[in-house]
Amino acid sequence: MKDLFRKNILWLSFILLAVFSVMVACNPEDPQPLPQGDLMDIAYSPQSYTIVKPAYFPEIPIPADNPMTLDGIQLGRRLFYDPILSADSTMSCATCHLPAGSFTDNKAVSTGIDHISGNRSAMAVLNLAYILPEDGLFWDGRAKTMEDQALGPVENPIEMHNTWTNVVEKFKKHPSYPALFRKAFGINDRSEITKELAAKAIAQFERIFVSSGKSKYDLFKAGNIDAFDDEELDGKLMFFDEGKDYNLPDAQCFHCHGSETLTGGKFFNNGLDSVGSLDEFKDLGRFNVTGNPFDKGKFRAPTLRNIALTSPYMHDGRFQTLEQVLDHYSNNGFGVVNEGAFLNNIGFPNGDGTYTGLTAYQKKALVKFLETLTDTDFISNPDIQNPF
Amino acid sequence: MKKYTIFFALISFAFLSSCGEHGAEDLGVNFDITFRATFDGAQLEKNKDYQFGSVPMFVEACRMYLSDITLLQGNREIVLSEIEYLNFTPSNAVFATPTITFKNVPEGEYTGIRLGYGVKPSLNAKRPADFSAGHPLSIENDYWAGWSSYIFTTLDGKADSDNNGSKDLSLAYHCGSNPVYKTFEFAHTIHVHAGEPGARISFDMKEFLTLADGTLYNLLIHPATSNSAADVTVAQTLTANFGRATTVEQ
Repeated sequence: MKDLFRKNILWLSFILLAVFSVMVACNPEDPQPLPQGDLMDIAYSPQSYTIVKPAYFPEIPIPADNPMTLDGIQLGRRLFYDPILSADSTMSCATCHLPAGSFTDNKAVSTGIDHISGNRSAMAVLNLAYILPEDGLFWDGRAKTMEDQALGPVENPIEMHNTWTNVVEKFKKHPSYPALFRKAFGINDRSEITKELAAKAIAQFERIFVSSGKSKYDLFKAGNIDAFDDEELDGKLMFFDEGKDYNLPDAQCFHCHGSETLTGGKFFNNGLDSVGSLDEFKDLGRFNVTGNPFDKGKFRAPTLRNIALTSPYMHDGRFQTLEQVLDHYSNNGFGVVNEGAFLNNIGFPNGDGTYTGLTAYQKKALVKFLETLTDTDFISNPDIQNPF
Repeated sequence: MKKYTIFFALISFAFLSSCGEHGAEDLGVNFDITFRATFDGAQLEKNKDYQFGSVPMFVEACRMYLSDITLLQGNREIVLSEIEYLNFTPSNAVFATPTITFKNVPEGEYTGIRLGYGVKPSLNAKRPADFSAGHPLSIENDYWAGWSSYIFTTLDGKADSDNNGSKDLSLAYHCGSNPVYKTFEFAHTIHVHAGEPGARISFDMKEFLTLADGTLYNLLIHPATSNSAADVTVAQTLTANFGRATTVEQ
């Protein structure tokens, strides 16, 4: 008798559950489910892609969960240039990252869709694939990876001021994006499109933004010593602190702008502001990421490759010309406690702990050297131009 | 039947031999070494105030390469690693104590360890592009492209040169190039067995700046080194201090 009662209870529960499920599924207010497997008739045959780089550049690290494929890069390229990412469909990544400016917008600070100005200058998109996760992307390193970085601007109220939910819905309804996501990532139906996949595609595309190795500096490095005139050579010697035998001072540039990409990706207070205490910096920079008080006023030392194309300079675009930048460094900073270690000893030593700074000729030679870093083959690379 | 018995006996013997003690020893075990930078015996922290003699100072960056980390056992030497990169002051933390796990280390009692301070000349002849991503020598930030050498040891910071409360003097000891490379052996019993705790190796940066006769290096006279001839002499002097600045424990 007890068993029979138990059985009936079980059956009753099962029937009630089934009825409830049908009622929930038939709620007329719910959106119609997207067709399952609607992309499966589109071929998914990813072809791996090897990034082209100068032979003397290190291998580019590729995350295991986002391998480079031709279709991934092509999707990322469209997303980078497509204003579909912004709330009013007027602004794409390329609005602030234009090829002519080595993928900057050549403005002191950028302006978003609501005409609100940001407080920092758009960074050049070049050789970012080499940045270590420990350091991260942006002026303050707040995004650990290129995938993380790609997620940021869409929802930033002073940039694209959109939501990823909205953007992903637009992708799902788009005539071509579902197929492109299928080809790039092998999804079976459009409901599988996510912001993470979009970010992966953009990151794949941005990873191919690598120097061509054909700048005048690269030609000189390759052994063509006639590529440089005397001024450019003097500039190089000072840049790399190699000028002692030629009566040239140390300009100390390479300590922060070293390596083949001419940035170590690290963060420095480069002596822009004379502050009484570190709390007085208008923009606290790296501190906002690490919480370390000594990181206040520190910003990433950007790559100097293509630096002549990326004016204005510094995180807030305060300097219009490279000459102004050299004037600044020649002053040997303000002695603020967290200024970069080599900022206060530019020039020849005076013997009393101070340094001479640079003469007009030395500054001119350094500017001429910096101009040899211009890489027009990179900015005109057809693979990274607007596909629309 | 006798034929089969002999055949199975041989097979069994071969199988049992392959599973013996000899095979297990060859396979080895995992062995951890935790590396740490200290200042006057205490954990080194980025931007923390230290007293160096009469000079207040702090450290901003502390990084180093080690070559041929080798366990010693009489005439026997087990090279744990050809090269390692230690960043004690990553940009996202105040300090780090990296632990490296060395695999397949033969079990046993070792009498000491040898460390090469810097990048040994055969590797220093290469450059970051010669190494795959993630390799310690693929790191561009600690390579002098202009001088074709890795920066073996980096110690950056600030000092208060006139004791007026303001740390005005930049310290930047960047030691590199082949003449600066140096090895030291440290006698210490090191047990390598499964389940045994690993070793700990500390580098004291105050000792790194202390000369052999116990006097403190004059930060004010030579606050920075890079790669000029005079600087190489200073870098050699400082690197030689690692013999006293290194502590091995288990």
